[in-house]
Amino acid sequence: MDINWIKIAGFVLTPVIAFVVGVTYGGLVRNITARIQNRFGPPVWQNFLDITKLYSKSTAIHHGWMQRLGPAFALTASVTSLFFIPVLRDSEMFSLLSFDGDLIFLLYMMVFGSLGMALGVGQTGNPNSAIGVSRGLSQMVGYEIPFVLALVAIMVQYQTTNLNEILAAQSQFTDWIIFQNPFAFAAGMLALLGMMGYAPFDVVTAPAELASGPPSEFGGKYLAVMMTSRSIFAFAKLVLFTDLFLGGADNFITLVIKTFAIYMFPVLTGIVNPRFRTEHSIQFFWKWPTVLGILAIIIVVW
Amino acid sequence: MTPNINEKDKLRIREIVQNFARKHSLWVLAYGTGCGAIEIPPTMTSRYDAERFGITGSATPRQADVLLITGYLSTKTLKRVIRTYEQMQAPKYVIGFGSCTINGGMYWDSYNTINALDRYIPVDVYINGCMPRPEAVIEGFIKLQNLIAEGKANGAEKYMENLEWYRENQKKIIHNWQMPDFNW
Amino acid sequence: MLEKENKLAEQIKKTFHSAEVKVMREKRISVQLRSNLIPPFLSYAKELLDFKHLAHMSCVDWLEDNEFELVFILWNYDEQIQIISKTRIPRDKAEFVSLKKFWIQAETYEREIHEMYGVDFEGNNRLGEFILEDWEGMPPMRRDFDTRKYSRETYFQRPGREDAKDVRETITKHSGEEVPDFAKNYTIRQ
Repeated sequence: MDINWIKIAGFVLTPVIAFVVGVTYGGLVRNITARIQNRFGPPVWQNFLDITKLYSKSTAIHHGWMQRLGPAFALTASVTSLFFIPVLRDSEMFSLLSFDGDLIFLLYMMVFGSLGMALGVGQTGNPNSAIGVSRGLSQMVGYEIPFVLALVAIMVQYQTTNLNEILAAQSQFTDWIIFQNPFAFAAGMLALLGMMGYAPFDVVTAPAELASGPPSEFGGKYLAVMMTSRSIFAFAKLVLFTDLFLGGADNFITLVIKTFAIYMFPVLTGIVNPRFRTEHSIQFFWKWPTVLGILAIIIVVW
Repeated sequence: MTPNINEKDKLRIREIVQNFARKHSLWVLAYGTGCGAIEIPPTMTSRYDAERFGITGSATPRQADVLLITGYLSTKTLKRVIRTYEQMQAPKYVIGFGSCTINGGMYWDSYNTINALDRYIPVDVYINGCMPRPEAVIEGFIKLQNLIAEGKANGAEKYMENLEWYRENQKKIIHNWQMPDFNW
Repeated sequence: MLEKENKLAEQIKKTFHSAEVKVMREKRISVQLRSNLIPPFLSYAKELLDFKHLAHMSCVDWLEDNEFELVFILWNYDEQIQIISKTRIPRDKAEFVSLKKFWIQAETYEREIHEMYGVDFEGNNRLGEFILEDWEGMPPMRRDFDTRKYSRETYFQRPGREDAKDVRETITKHSGEEVPDFAKNYTIRQ
């Protein structure tokens, strides 16, 4: 059988690129936050130094083998979701796996990471972590509804569940879904606020709230793996939104510009807003974003 | 079972890279033990920005590198500080803030506060003042960074090697000793 | 000028004959009583004279007279006058009655006085370890407890530097100046 070396190179390179771009975005966000607060921030490569320092801790304190599996679950979920999102359109190396129905599979895969983390967290026995996990999962119930409604609207409009075909249908500038179905775009962007984990929906891992919630008993190498998986997952979500609404990208420069533009929406909202309680955030997500999602479906079906 | 932290790295480059990363990303535990902690918020916020050096706050001892002992320690607090220090992961550093950690400061003849911090937990850097100003605090952190780069900031190893001596001093003032074993 | 305070002092002297009432200044009256008259006096002040607020309760150690003095400070919201009522109890058998049924906050003050001075309050069942943890020994706020000796024995003292004993000399040497003439009398440590 022919081994398609180009595709394998794509599979190997994509997590590396996601890691580099995701971690750089993290450092950029710290810098932007600092400039808005009228000070200079850390250099852009600060998150790389953080991850290197965490890897070079010499002791690894853990409470059992399930706790060590938690970060591994999170990393697996991030990388697997990344493999089903075409990073560049019409490129043999970087449009990865795809099959009919992969959009629904992606919805499941994105939740799998948090559930694995919850299992790992349960063994530490820290009450802060348990409360953080329950809050995180209830918030996820909140933002999944508008997100799924937006996706269903798109799937019904283009009569397909394959992400590559949705991407192929947006060949022209005016064919982008942001113009064809703006209600789906609005519902999706409001759901993105919850998915990214910035304020006002950051009650899960807030340091002042709960001693940082789920990762409170993780230190050293486990925390490094969790930070890595968080960066890769952020990049995956941004590329998914670019493919769904902004027509994908042909080369890396356009990809960086489009993902950064989408990323600025949760970041800039997060810098100037306080925090919602869990019940308020669920109420927020089930009011206007859900209404926009239902409107998106109605417009398509009519 | 002690891990061998003292293992001499054969490749000197690995040590240099690790020390560079460690010194430019110091996570400080958000725990103010005494009245000197009032100088930490000005250091971390917009005017005397400490995030330029990579210093941010951390919520739990498992994730922190640096423990700031800001000010006096009564015997009640000392028991909790020892437990917190032993929960942190190596390599870890302790900075003694203010004159109360050096020789007792304002409370030198009190029946409840300790006078010399060095006898109970190992200290890397002292910053004197009552309280030290944010500029002095940042200079203390830079001194810690230089010590890390030279490889001399090994308070954690000193603690593990001389554990009996430290325990003897601690048990002399803390009479009701009910603590978990050292959690390597 | 001090009409309200003088009128109040007259009223108190009519009911409690053995009290020594003094108007200290505007808005402040001090009343010195025997120790068995304090609960009736406080109840009288709280209900009849409207001194509804217990501001503070503390203890003074008169080592030479071999007595403790308990001080209660009351405040009237309408007239804005303060009553400082004092009483003396013997130091060897220091007991008193607990006032927690008059004001709830008296319980906390009594716990502190019990821990720091050793006064026993009958009726207060929460006396015990409050602020100091695992403290064995004399109650530390008494004047015959030598705190300096205790600190020197229990806690390790760091020895001072030999080359920097005098503060003025060290600072002037550091910045390359001279100690001025008017300060030379004070630079020599005894």
